[in-house]
Parts: sequence; C-alpha cells; structure tokens
Amino acid sequence: MERAPRGRVGASPAATFHIDPGRTDTFVRGDRSVAQIVLQEIVKQYGSLTVIDHLNLTMEDNEFTVLVGPSGCGKSTTLRMVAGLEDVTEGEIFIDGKAVTHLDPKDRDVAMVFQDYALYPHMNVARNMSFALRLAHYPKAEIDKRVREVAGTLGIEDLLHRKPRELSGGQRQRVAMGRALVRDASTFLFDEPLSNLDAKLRTQMRAELALMRQRLNKNMIYVTHDQVEAMTLGDRIVVMHEGYIQQQGSPEELFKRPANKFVAGFIGSPAMNFLDGQVSEEGGHPMVKGAGFSFRLPETRREALAGRGNPKVTVGIRPSVFVPAEEGADAVNLIRLPALVSEYIGAHSVLIADCGGTQVTVEIDSETPIAVGQELSFTIDPGTIHLFDTESEESI
Amino acid sequence: MRSKQLGTIGYYGLLIILALICLGPIILMLTTSLKLKTQIFDDSFSFFFMPTLTNYVAVFQDERLGRDLSNSLIVGLVSTVITLTLGCMAAYALVRFRFMGRDAVSITTLLLRMVPPAVLVVPVFMIWTYDLSLTNTLTGVIIIYVALNLPFVIWILQSFIEQVPPALEEAARMDGANPFQVFFLVVLPLIRPGLAAAAIFTFRIAWNEFILALVLTNRVTRTIPVKVSLFITEHNIEWGQIMAIGTLIAIPPLVFTFVASKQIITGLTAGAVKG
Repeated sequence: MERAPRGRVGASPAATFHIDPGRTDTFVRGDRSVAQIVLQEIVKQYGSLTVIDHLNLTMEDNEFTVLVGPSGCGKSTTLRMVAGLEDVTEGEIFIDGKAVTHLDPKDRDVAMVFQDYALYPHMNVARNMSFALRLAHYPKAEIDKRVREVAGTLGIEDLLHRKPRELSGGQRQRVAMGRALVRDASTFLFDEPLSNLDAKLRTQMRAELALMRQRLNKNMIYVTHDQVEAMTLGDRIVVMHEGYIQQQGSPEELFKRPANKFVAGFIGSPAMNFLDGQVSEEGGHPMVKGAGFSFRLPETRREALAGRGNPKVTVGIRPSVFVPAEEGADAVNLIRLPALVSEYIGAHSVLIADCGGTQVTVEIDSETPIAVGQELSFTIDPGTIHLFDTESEESI
Repeated sequence: MRSKQLGTIGYYGLLIILALICLGPIILMLTTSLKLKTQIFDDSFSFFFMPTLTNYVAVFQDERLGRDLSNSLIVGLVSTVITLTLGCMAAYALVRFRFMGRDAVSITTLLLRMVPPAVLVVPVFMIWTYDLSLTNTLTGVIIIYVALNLPFVIWILQSFIEQVPPALEEAARMDGANPFQVFFLVVLPLIRPGLAAAAIFTFRIAWNEFILALVLTNRVTRTIPVKVSLFITEHNIEWGQIMAIGTLIAIPPLVFTFVASKQIITGLTAGAVKG
C-alpha cells in the first residue's frame, strides 16, 4: 500500500502556495500538486474572546493530520470549522480546491466521528450507518452492500439489528466509525474518537485506526489531546496551544527537533526534563552548566550560541537519553543522580531522581529494580541535549 | 420493627383514602346513571339496587347525539394535531436557536396560560363574532383551543428537547440532513414521550372545555360538554341522563390516554452519547 507523502514542515505554510489569478477558488502549490485542505488566515471569535488567531494550515492530499494540544487550545474548534459546525469569523477554508467556508456541512463532502459517539438512539446499528446514504437516496441494494462491507471490516456484522443502548462503549465507537466510513466522503474528521474508551480498548482501536488509514487513501484530520495517539497515527502532527500553531511536522521531526519548550514538553512520554543552565566556553568547547550537571555541547551549537548576549538557557533532556555509565567514564558528560522514586515496569524502570534540587525523570532498561536512595551515574550524548531561550522559550 | 409496620399501614391507609377521593365521584356517576329517577331521589342510601339502562336508552335515542359526539371528536383531534405540530416547532426554536427576545418569549408563553378561559369569553366572543365571523363554526372553537393549549405544550416540550444531545443534531447535519430532516428524523422521534404527554393534556382540555364552547357554538356545532348542560331545563334536571352521558364522554379520553401513555417511556436517548 502506497503511503501518502509525509508533510513538509514549514514555519509558515501559507508561504508555500499562491493564488492563481485566474481562479480565486483554487490553490496551486509551488510543486503544482493541489493541497486537499487549506485553512487560510482563520480567525474564530466568541464575542470578544479570540480562540483562534490567524491560523494557516495546509494539508497534503490523502494526509493523516493530527491536531494535538492541551484542552482549550482550539483544536476541536478548528476541526468543527472544517466540518462546518462552527462559523468562521475571518479567513477561508478550501477542501479539494473548493472554497467551503460558508457551505453547510452536507455540501462539504466530509464525514465526522464524534467524541461521544452521537449515535441515533432510536435507530438500530444498520439504520445508524445507512442514515446518510438514505438521505442521499441511494438504491436500497447499494446501501445494504455498503453497510455490510463496512460492518464486516469493523467486525460488527452481528450487531446490525441492535440499538445503541444495547452496545458496549467499544462497539458504539465502532458503529460511529462505521457510520462515517460508509459514506465514502473525501475527508474524514475525528474528534477525539478514542478518549471515552478504557486504556486497553484505546490501544486496540488505535491499532485498528492505523490499519484503516492505510487502507483508505483519504484526507483525515484527527483531533486528540493524547500525544501517543498523535505520534502513532499521524503523517503530520500539528501542535496547538492557546489558539496558535506551535509547530507542525512529522512525528520524528517534532520529537527530535521541537521548535519550542512547549512542543518539547508536550511531545514524548515521559515528558522532557527542563533544567536551568548557563552556557559558557571551557577548554575550547561550548559548555552548559547548572546545579548538579555540566555538559559539553557539540561544536555545531557554537554558531547558534555565539550571537546570544544572555548566557542563561533552559536545558531540555529526554528521559530516554540517559545512558547508565561505567565508573570512571568521561567526567564531563557524566551526571550523578540519587534516585528518589523508582517505578519498575518490567522491561524498563522510570526513575525520579534529584538533580541539584530539580526532579528529573529517567527512563532506563532495567533487569533488576533500583533501590530508592541509590546514586546512579549516567552519560548523555551531547547531540541529544536541547536548549531553549529562557524568555521566548524558542529552541536555540 | 413495630413502628415500621405501623408506618406501612398508615401509608396504605392514606393511599386508600386518596383513591376513594378520586374514585368516589366516578362511582357516584356510574351508579346514578344506572338508577331510575325515583331511586336517585330516594333518601335511604343503599349500595344495592336493581340497575337499569333506561337513562342510556334515553340518551342514545336522541338523534343529535352522534352529531355532537363527532363535533367533539373533530375539535379534540384537530386541535391536538395543530397544537402539537406548532408546539414542537416553536419549542425547538426556543431551545436551539439564539435570537433576540428568546427568553422573554419563552416566559410570556407560560404567562398566557395563567389567564383563566372565563376571562377570555367576552373578548373572544366579540372578536370571533364581529371581526372574524367565526362564531358557530368548529374552526372558531379549534382556533381558541389551539391558542389555549399552545403555551403549555411549548413549555412541556422545551424540557424534552433540551434533553436531546446537540451532538446528535450535529451528526445528522454531517450526514447530510437539512434542518427539517434533522428535526423530523432525529429530534422528533426522541421527544415522543413529551409529545404523548402533551397530546393527552391537549386532547383532554379540548374534549372537556365547556364555557368557550357554550358561547362559540350553536345547535349544529355544539360539543358534548355543552350538550350535557341542556339536560338542565327550567322544569327539570335529568340527573340520570346527565350521569349516563357523563359516563359515555369519559370513555374517549380514557382510551386516548391509554394509547398515548404507551409512548411515555423513559431512557429513549440511552446509548446516544457517552453518559
């Protein structure tokens, strides 16, 4: 199965397309391929409260885009504006090159899966799934065929005659997905579809969603507050916070090169550790030092650090980059941490350790549980250390 | 333990008294309708008497009974249908749409309900007679009954519509439904219990209403409650026949209530959204 191309990351996606002067309703990208969903300068206000402020987002053809962020960041509002359930205060939305900003949901050719299922309680599963097709006056044979097909792929053929109240949470979620899938719409929208399921079911449904998105080559926008869902499902992840896009890119890009402290802290589990530090020059090497640590930075950082007046930085270290050190290893990148709490999870342990008064999380492979109070030595690859400006919180 | 038993006895005692208060007039009506005039005015009360259908025969021999009965049925059913149709749409608009004066409209509808029909008799009679020429027509009676019942129906249906999760309507919109399809295919089936309760209420009022019907109808268009009053003449009060026709006209609302109350079931929206 051919995968849709991964999205290119760009500081401003608006810069990557221009408007064809002859046709105001069509966007032509620089590489001549038509972007499927374009949000252009979107503003959403409720009264005097601005929840989305000049948002620009371009999604490639058949791309699985995940909008992720903490609650209240505007991700669901953005999705609902694409769906047509919320008015757009300013700006334009294009789907398939067509301006849909002021169209009804029914005229946008989009299907949506809701967070709390929203199944029609007075209809059985089959009628729930066929509702859209019946409204569109499809022939009965065609409706039956499609419902059966989709029910088969979702494993709910046996439930077709049940009412929603006779279904479990997981089954309801499948029906809700089935209702969207039978429609064969150009774009599928998912509004936190897994957040009402228990942890085990969520993992299972996540895997099924990943399979489904490979089978269907459709535009998909998926909203979640769970960064694990975002990382595992998305071709492109858009991290939002307080109505602004913080960063967008592939899961790998976001994990390895977070644009700012917010993205760095939000993406990755357990979350990145942040320590206060100062950059300096020592023995011809750029260094960063703070309470309880002293790391040599790679030479490639020298240039970025050179122009800065303020030596203060925030140091970001992922829990997974701590490597247990042999005694007497390179003393510069060595860090000694007394363990405060040890969570033994089997294959690996998560430690909370003390680093000069700040608690840091360390994830290590562990055959044997680690005793509390035990002092451990770790080395850290200088290339994995992230530095952020203390004021702007931007990545250095 | 002992006090709990006493409590139970007291509880059931209270229920029996309440049941007697409710059933007493009905039993009295039923027994009186089966008595002869001499028995009705007999001072010595007895539970046992020889029942007779004389009063019913006399009521049924009146050839105008069928016409009056069908007038009442037409007025009751038509006004119920119109009231529910207008009421559910108005209630939906008041619940779901944001417009200026929404709350004011919502409250004033109920205020109108607080006006007793007797107060309306004179102005309605004047307007119906001189402005609209609607007196002595069934249409005129139906219109005033719709106006009378609409506020309460709107009010009762509002609370039912509020319980329909908005996500369901959004799902229907995403599925391609226009506003009317959202309303008729998704919202309406889910407020069926509310419609049933409102229908029972509306039909019962329209069926039993006396004072406006008395003023607005003539011998051709009069309804059953008005008919009953005709048994009181300057010479005589036909208690036996009044009770017989009273028993008869109690039957249609009873049947209607039983049929409609089958629709009053709870938990209709169960399973729609995560609770």
